[in-house]
Amino acid sequence: MPVAQLKHDIFQNGRLDELVLPEFNPEDLTEDNSGKAMAFPLPENDVVRVFGLPRNILLDFRILSKAVSVVRDVTIKLVDRLQAASQESSQKNRLVLAGSAGCGKSFLLVQGVEYAAAAGWLVMYIPRAASLVNSSTMYTYDLRTRTYLQPIFAQQTLQRFRTVNESLLGSLTLEGGIELGDGVLIDIGLKEQTSAPAVLSALLEALGKQTKAPVLLAVDDFQTLFAKSAYKSPHFQTLRAWHLSMPRLILDYVSGQKTFARGAVVGALSASNKTYGLSQDVRHALGLQPWLQPSPYVKVPAEVSAFTKGIQIMKVPEKMNVGEAASLFEVWNKNKSFHTPANDELFLAKYAESGGNPRDFVWKGLLSTLQT
Amino acid sequence: MVHILGVQLFENHAVKHALTNFYGINRLTASRLCARLQIHDTCRVRSLTATQITSIAAFLSSPATSPIPPRGPLASPSFTPHPPTTPFGQLPGARAYLAQVDAPPPPLPQPRTKGLDPLRWLRIETDLKREMRENIAHQRMIGSYVGKRHAMGLPVRGQNTQTNAKTARKLNRIERHR
Repeated sequence: MPVAQLKHDIFQNGRLDELVLPEFNPEDLTEDNSGKAMAFPLPENDVVRVFGLPRNILLDFRILSKAVSVVRDVTIKLVDRLQAASQESSQKNRLVLAGSAGCGKSFLLVQGVEYAAAAGWLVMYIPRAASLVNSSTMYTYDLRTRTYLQPIFAQQTLQRFRTVNESLLGSLTLEGGIELGDGVLIDIGLKEQTSAPAVLSALLEALGKQTKAPVLLAVDDFQTLFAKSAYKSPHFQTLRAWHLSMPRLILDYVSGQKTFARGAVVGALSASNKTYGLSQDVRHALGLQPWLQPSPYVKVPAEVSAFTKGIQIMKVPEKMNVGEAASLFEVWNKNKSFHTPANDELFLAKYAESGGNPRDFVWKGLLSTLQT
Repeated sequence: MVHILGVQLFENHAVKHALTNFYGINRLTASRLCARLQIHDTCRVRSLTATQITSIAAFLSSPATSPIPPRGPLASPSFTPHPPTTPFGQLPGARAYLAQVDAPPPPLPQPRTKGLDPLRWLRIETDLKREMRENIAHQRMIGSYVGKRHAMGLPVRGQNTQTNAKTARKLNRIERHR
């Protein structure tokens, strides 16, 4: 008998049917839908497709058959915040998402970025800011800006920004008559690598002046913007991140020295990167864990204080509530990722063991359990 | 395959590692050299431009006489750069960069001062081997203990000879490092 005619259950190999979940739309991000799992629609020019994702989220999305996330209370809070920011200057909307390891800061930032892109914002997303400072891209000193330019990274960012925001850019007119619709400014940067950093800076300044569309600058691994980079000067002095053109450009917007007329700057701290972790001086400058004063032997650079002035912290809760955890449990269950029968006992046991921490709940709880 | 001063560098190797193929360049010196020429850590030899290869060859052919790059000022948080259309010559600090082209390299301080750039005293390949041969020949010429031990093909630095000393017996001689 041909294989296609073998319809009995015994011949089914437990192949996964595609996860059917509601789509992640701005209109559906309400308090009623808090705790529901939603799949990101990923068109060809989607933000995370083009700009990329942090490593841990990429892994999650590869294992799950779809790019899924759970809409939490804090997601609604961030979305409300972004809605308010869309009418205000980015000077008042400089946010950093902070919380314990594995509490969902990077996921929250991805949700914010997807919301903004769907809601008609111009979005620039840097998923791995560590790649700016780990000496993995070309660098060259520029006397005019007194920084070390990173032309290849700037060029790639320009290309990705244009791909993601092509339709919006086509309808904008910049001051000085440089039509973005013709692509004159961006084309210059894409053709000549050496001019890409200057073009990117000019583009962001020009976009900051227009009021037709709000602009979101989102950065994951936010703490690496204050770290000692792996780059060295020609005299073998270690360069700090703010001596490099790309981190410096981001920090100018983070500190409020440059602003978007409408928009926000959102960063997410990351505990995953051990090489560029959150240092004592940055922790103190951001006002996290105020009961832990920095050691008197640690020199706090004045630049850290200057660049972190006026940043607001949004704390991501350490614990998911039961409804959110249940949605997450169902998503992984539908993905047939468990080798254990999925029941309430397993759910509550792993929820209690992980203390509600999302990463621990999934990776150390559900996927690592030997319980049968 | 890239050849610089007679030494082969493999294309898929990181430049920082490939430079250690030169006799007299260790990992630290290679890092310093990459920093001097602004080559990032993960740059592969195949990614090097012709200008960069020429600059590596020019430096290594004569490290002592290579121009020292000026110390470029670094921007403070409140620094606002000049517009992109500003001519290079009008930027503050441009004089040091323009003067570098014609200026002769500064003389090497004697004796070598600690804390100065070690790349200025870098010797590689035949120059280094010649220096080592000269050092041994000098020791022999002045009739020192070190010179005598090299001449006898025995350990120089007080090692045991009752046992071991095989390497010294094999390698130590006046005309070592030919």
